[in-house]
Amino acid sequence: MQDFYIPATAMSPEIDFRFSRHVLNIKGESYPENAAAFYNQVLSQLTLYLSSPEHKSIEVNVELKYFNSSSTKILLKLFEILNDAVHAGNSITLNWYHDEDDDTILEFGEDLHSDYERLNFNPIAISAA
Amino acid sequence: MLTQTQSFVPLAAIKPGSIPTARDILLQYPVVSPAETNNEILHIFAETPHLIGLPVIEEGYAIGLINRNIFMDSIARPFHREIFGKKSCIAFMDKTPLVVEQSTSIQDLSFLVVDAGKKALTDGLIIVENGRYVGMGMGHDLVRVISNMQAQKNHIVMESIGYASVIQKSYLRSSRDDMASTLKDYFIHWEPRDVVGGDYYYFSKFDDGFFVAIIDCTGHGVPGAFMTLIMASTLDHVLTHEKRHNPAEVLSMMNRLVKVSLGQVSEKVESIIGEPVTADDEATSDDGMDAAFCWFDMKTNVLTYAGAKMPIFISQRGEDELITLDGDRKGVGYAGTPMDFVWENKEITLKKDDCIYITTDGIIDQIGGEKNIAYGKKRLRQLLQSCRHLPMIEQRNIVMDAFYTYQGEHFRRDDVTILGFRI
Repeated sequence: MQDFYIPATAMSPEIDFRFSRHVLNIKGESYPENAAAFYNQVLSQLTLYLSSPEHKSIEVNVELKYFNSSSTKILLKLFEILNDAVHAGNSITLNWYHDEDDDTILEFGEDLHSDYERLNFNPIAISAA
Repeated sequence: MLTQTQSFVPLAAIKPGSIPTARDILLQYPVVSPAETNNEILHIFAETPHLIGLPVIEEGYAIGLINRNIFMDSIARPFHREIFGKKSCIAFMDKTPLVVEQSTSIQDLSFLVVDAGKKALTDGLIIVENGRYVGMGMGHDLVRVISNMQAQKNHIVMESIGYASVIQKSYLRSSRDDMASTLKDYFIHWEPRDVVGGDYYYFSKFDDGFFVAIIDCTGHGVPGAFMTLIMASTLDHVLTHEKRHNPAEVLSMMNRLVKVSLGQVSEKVESIIGEPVTADDEATSDDGMDAAFCWFDMKTNVLTYAGAKMPIFISQRGEDELITLDGDRKGVGYAGTPMDFVWENKEITLKKDDCIYITTDGIIDQIGGEKNIAYGKKRLRQLLQSCRHLPMIEQRNIVMDAFYTYQGEHFRRDDVTILGFRI
């Protein structure tokens, strides 16, 4: 399956899905005017990738600074899809990047961890260089 | 030979509501015929310095456009005057200028001009009616008409949003009045990001206490404001005399009502996920609210709180840290929230001088500061605790000043609402 890439804008994150290497990266901020329209293609690509029968070991890197409430709902759906994919026999590590002082993003990650227990949740604090 | 003199069509004459066309930038312009010589053209350009170009007309039809600069450069070359001076002026004209019917809309015209490249903007374009020449249009007039159209549309939209704001504020009036007559020391700061917004507050006094709610509907701007009106009228409907002591029950009832009225029942939503995108999917709404609902009993001083993804903070004298009461992690009305979801009431007995703070996520999630990260709960909690001894209105100024400073040059991400009151 072809890799999938959307460059970042001020309002939407960079989507860098390297399906060939089983590495999925999401980075930036997310407050597009129409979050459903932005993420629908992302989710359908992801679903297509996960629909192949082979069992994969997948690395997911998420480094988001801000997402609005409509993006939040869709991101939760994305993690649910990943969580279900573990049930289907894949193994998934979620690297959750947050600034060391950013309690908002860290808390969100911890909530994710308790909601989607099958994901191997790995919070990573970024310290200012 | 100059056959027509110029007269400007005043651009302000465009009627609101009419669709502007090429006619709106039409200029009566001097023209020449192919019989005229380059010497005559040189003379015309010398006599009329403001002319950018000269359309060449043959039997009523435009056959080209002489650009002043190109013409002057060409004729000034060695011996050109001697060779071309007495020849037809078509020698140096552009044979393919942009020609448009005067009924062409300004929007179509602007695309044509862009497609034609730089020359249509600098040389102007020829405007015809049923193919016959009627005048010229200039690039800067086109830009002016487009700007006017933009400004006019903006004005209409902003006027309409301005009035929407009047409606939204009038919905808040009874809450404001009840708050002012019930609470002795309090502040409410309500600041929609886009004049109107999805944040909302509600306050209702009863004989034995008061009910207070802070609400953060999905979205901001006009769609957010729509949602607040739906929520406000639903809450008005649900908050009966017997229900007021039970905020969790009020949340549950609102959840059911909103899900039904917006058609956000789960079967519909599951089809959005994982399926290829269709136009129908995007039209399905999945809207709701995060909220903190509180009942305060004035006889017993017990505060009953139920929260949908919105905590409340309680500051007590002599403590280092605020107490946080967390709500349930389900929003109200969303497709993903079950129809029968039950929120939990939490009770806390308050003492005199305790301060209660409730805020939407607008402050906490705002990006800013040196590190470009969210303001955060921790920062807000520390700030509130440090200024708890001050009158509430001063606390508001301190909190908002700190927030504005933190936001700095960053784009405001969301609506902001914060309520504080002292028991």
